[in-house]
Amino acid sequence: MNRYLPLAIVSLAILAFATLLLVIVPGMQIAADGVAPGLKPYTAAEARGRAVYVSMGCLYCHSQQPRDEAQAPDGERGWGRASVAGDYAYDAPHQLGTMRTGPDLMNIGDRLPSQDWQLTHLYQPRAISNWSIMPAYPFLFTHKDKAGPTDVVVKLPPAYAPKTGVIVANQDALDLVSYLQGMKHDYAPPGDGLRDNGYAQIDARQMPQTDAAKAAQ
Amino acid sequence: MSKKNKQDPRLPDETFEPYEEPRLIPLPVYWIAIALAIWGVVTLVQTSNAGHFADKERAALGEKTASVASPAASTAAPDTGAGKALFADNCSSCHGDAGEGVADAIPPLHASDVIKAGGASAISQIVMRGIGGPLIVDKANYDGEMPSFSSVLSDTEIAAIADYVATDLNGMNSTVSPDQVAEIRTASEDMDPWDGGAGLASLINGLPPQPASENASAPSPEATATASLASQGTANIWSCASCHGDKGEGTQTVPRLAGLAPAYLAKQLHDFSKGTRISDSMAYVAKSLSETQITELANYYGAMSSPSGAQPALKGDLARGEQLALSGDYSKNVPACFTCHGTSGIGVGAQFPGLAAQQPAYIAHQLAMWAGGARHNSPLGLMAGIGKALSDEDRRAVADYLASLPPAAGNAKTALAVSPTLKETTNVQ
Amino acid sequence: MQITPTLGLLLTLSFVVSLLALSALIWAIANKQVHAPDQDDARSIFQPGEGAEIAPPTQPHHFDTERSGIDKSSSGPVMWLIGMGVFWLIYGSIHGLAASLELNLPDLMSGSAQMTFGRMRTVHLNSVIFGWSSQAGLAAIFWIIPRIFHTPLRLGWMVKLGTLIWNLALVAGVAAIANGWTDGLEWLEIPWQIDIALAIGAACFVAPLIATTRARTVHHIYVSGWYFLAAVLWFPVLFVIANIPGLHWGVEQATMNWWFAHNVLGLWLTPLGVGTAYYFIPKIIGKPIYSYAVSLVGFWALALFYSQVGIHHLIGGPVPTWLVTLSIVHSIMMFVPVIAVAINQHVTVARNMWALKASMPLRFIWFGALSYTIASFQGSIEALRSVNTITHFTQYTIGHAHLGAYAFVSLVLFGAIYQIVPRATGKYFPFPRLIGWHFWLVVVGFAIYFFSLTIGGVLQGLAMMDATRPFADSVTLLKPYLEGRSLGGGLMTLGHILLAVNLIALAFTKRTRDLETETMVAAQ
Repeated sequence: MNRYLPLAIVSLAILAFATLLLVIVPGMQIAADGVAPGLKPYTAAEARGRAVYVSMGCLYCHSQQPRDEAQAPDGERGWGRASVAGDYAYDAPHQLGTMRTGPDLMNIGDRLPSQDWQLTHLYQPRAISNWSIMPAYPFLFTHKDKAGPTDVVVKLPPAYAPKTGVIVANQDALDLVSYLQGMKHDYAPPGDGLRDNGYAQIDARQMPQTDAAKAAQ
Repeated sequence: MSKKNKQDPRLPDETFEPYEEPRLIPLPVYWIAIALAIWGVVTLVQTSNAGHFADKERAALGEKTASVASPAASTAAPDTGAGKALFADNCSSCHGDAGEGVADAIPPLHASDVIKAGGASAISQIVMRGIGGPLIVDKANYDGEMPSFSSVLSDTEIAAIADYVATDLNGMNSTVSPDQVAEIRTASEDMDPWDGGAGLASLINGLPPQPASENASAPSPEATATASLASQGTANIWSCASCHGDKGEGTQTVPRLAGLAPAYLAKQLHDFSKGTRISDSMAYVAKSLSETQITELANYYGAMSSPSGAQPALKGDLARGEQLALSGDYSKNVPACFTCHGTSGIGVGAQFPGLAAQQPAYIAHQLAMWAGGARHNSPLGLMAGIGKALSDEDRRAVADYLASLPPAAGNAKTALAVSPTLKETTNVQ
Repeated sequence: MQITPTLGLLLTLSFVVSLLALSALIWAIANKQVHAPDQDDARSIFQPGEGAEIAPPTQPHHFDTERSGIDKSSSGPVMWLIGMGVFWLIYGSIHGLAASLELNLPDLMSGSAQMTFGRMRTVHLNSVIFGWSSQAGLAAIFWIIPRIFHTPLRLGWMVKLGTLIWNLALVAGVAAIANGWTDGLEWLEIPWQIDIALAIGAACFVAPLIATTRARTVHHIYVSGWYFLAAVLWFPVLFVIANIPGLHWGVEQATMNWWFAHNVLGLWLTPLGVGTAYYFIPKIIGKPIYSYAVSLVGFWALALFYSQVGIHHLIGGPVPTWLVTLSIVHSIMMFVPVIAVAINQHVTVARNMWALKASMPLRFIWFGALSYTIASFQGSIEALRSVNTITHFTQYTIGHAHLGAYAFVSLVLFGAIYQIVPRATGKYFPFPRLIGWHFWLVVVGFAIYFFSLTIGGVLQGLAMMDATRPFADSVTLLKPYLEGRSLGGGLMTLGHILLAVNLIALAFTKRTRDLETETMVAAQ
């Protein structure tokens, strides 16, 4: 090769082609799919809590995309049904995640709806699970001598409670818990909701064989 | 090249310019590229065909789930033959094939004076909310519990059953339309089951004389304290209701507690506390509870009646689930669930908890934990063997089937006695 | 979804057409040069260009860049970039090590929000990708491009200005992340307001390269040039599209996110690493690359296939099936360019193994080139549904990412730095033995790191796939492997500190290597 302009044009054309296939066409398909019926927009407190979730980087250990039963036992772990594109219609930035150092949180509000549990766990995860490697977030709480009338006091076992006074949740912690409590995608998914059916297809291809084997028995 | 490199004749000098030799591409590179390209085309074609199929299948499944999720939504016209079939599926296991009832235990539905007074509309009311407590039917005394069927039957189905019982079993000319049932559903949302005959008296005019309600008395101070513990928790433990729900109906892997035998509940709390049953959150709670609190909480939830909070959610095969629950699978050495856990999964004693209307994720997860050995507190290790025999599909099937059943009603008569000595020493908290 | 079957067939068709177009392109270019060597562009390889008076016609493929003043034009900007790159390397490594320790000792640094795992890890990623790899890679580009084009670097002041803007923006970006101001997408955390400054900085890097390319005195562009010139166009386009605020949302944003994040690896860091290796391997050994036709396959297949692999990060997720399958197919197709590059680079090294002993820089670069082959093969296999279902949400992915971004790109760039710095500054490294220590620390450290996460990740994935094991199992079994990761990471960080020590000491030594060419190799 000896000319720069053709090299540049073809290189950029290839990238444009990839963008078309990976971003633009799926974007149109996802937009056409719309909002999942049953999905509610975030309330003001949930939206603030979501901002805390984003800024703390929860995403780096927690996914928000339960898998299909054909692929993994997410449903049996109580993580909820497989999600579809419409479930994320109000999400920006998206928080799908790529790691499960901790469990999936798409339906954490359904699985662990307790505000008190969430506050204890955020203040010190090891107060509940001694094997947990999740960071503690003591800086989302305040140590007070006495709780005020509107304060939410964190329930703690003696080993983790302060010697005097109480631990009170800051607004950020309360908002974050509101967001977590609102993470409920337990409504019926739209029948044609977009998601990766690859594993279900593999199952479906193998099904006739297992059925035949059963018939033979 | 003024400088000569004298160190190592093989070492290059700085002025060497990298370049590429004009060689042809080795043949294996072609073979690999062509093989991969063919594989890629085949994979893409396969996806485009299979994608169509899977979408269709999922659309059908979505419709099915939608109809289960909102039974009230279906508005098909009632079918005259449907009432009989629905009665056989849902009512006859207790009330008998012809609604004859069981002497001293379950009231008859055939030629019953209560039904004759109330008609199809009253039947719908009872099916919707359930009923518990003393009741007199045809001059005979009954004191049992009937669960609410609101989560299990649609308006159309309740109307069909009510019409069948009123007209076919009682020879009345009384019917109820699905729209009327829908109104009853709206009105009775969040209502407790009818309070025996006394409760029915407020619903049905001209009812034969009924015994007085047992629930009339004001709650005792202990009961109030327990209710507060369940709904508020203490200074260092979370409330039961914050996870298990205000009505003890559970969610996902958090189990339904309402209507489980107090002896079973108390044993589990003890096991959590001792570590013979593993759950981080429950160990935290159980360790902070006194003996008295454990007993009182067990009694509190044992006596609680609440509608089902569960519905099939794991895409299980309901027919397979029903087969496992009712008759088991002898090829896998799995006995029927109901041989131990009682008719319709209502539970038997301290060892065999009620399964009806239990959360599907909880059932499937616990079965898996039995199989893997993480849960191991069953008598004689019965559940470990069963858990291991069930496949992933089986677990989901039976869990979804159990979630589709009406819940067992609470029963205050199974309450555990609270030891007075313990009460004095541990009530400090 | 009526759209799906039609879309699937269109997709297959476009795949076939693009493969045919690619083959035709490569065939046309290769044919012209292989079978007609007396054509214009082929002859140009043998043209000595401006250096004709220095390199006599009896010695084709020779050109003294030092004497022609080319190195002098680029050494300033290159040293700026290397200095800043190594700063971010140290800064990023320390954050990475700290984040790793936080998983071993979760209560160690929980006192402040700035030091929570989610932020430390993010600061690590942004520091090493945009601070270290990108700047060290740009240093290699600015060193190599003028050399292969036989012309001094144009607009050198602009590169320095760009370096200044880029680093100031990066400081702002990292501070923003540490204090909780983030765009919240993996690889795109730096707030878009600050990204504007980064984009301006990037433009300051692109313009001098285009100006230098236009002024080149050789006709033929050497293979490193293809990678570099394409990469400096790809990266700004990716970066700007991905950061447009308000354009992306929900799952569409997720597909864009992984289109961007994998293309930063595939169309930015990989060309930097491959291009640098393509230049220094033959340069240090003094023997040509195996085949021009094969390098054409390697480059164009990389451009076509790598640009479409990103959605394999969303396998099993809420995105259309066809899209996932498309990315899986392209991930597997990546075998083609990787085999091509492997033939070209490894054959050249394998025929001259003696050079590994003689040259420390070559040792780094060869290890990096080898890692590229392994990382790419692993990446292709990892995209298969059957493998991915186990590894997807686990530490295995982190191991793979470091095999690519560290063992490949960073090792090549270490080698490049050791090769470039003595020539750009005219000084020897004051502690040549530390270079050997650096090599062995990062190689041993990386081996511990990689095998810990790979084995731990597979076990973690198997535990999560098994419904009969509680989730806690997948965490507890991982703990010793995470400790292994911290150990490996610690050794790697120590190696980086040795590099920094050598560079700082070099800055304070006197000029010792004035136009001397007899000692080619930085440490022997």
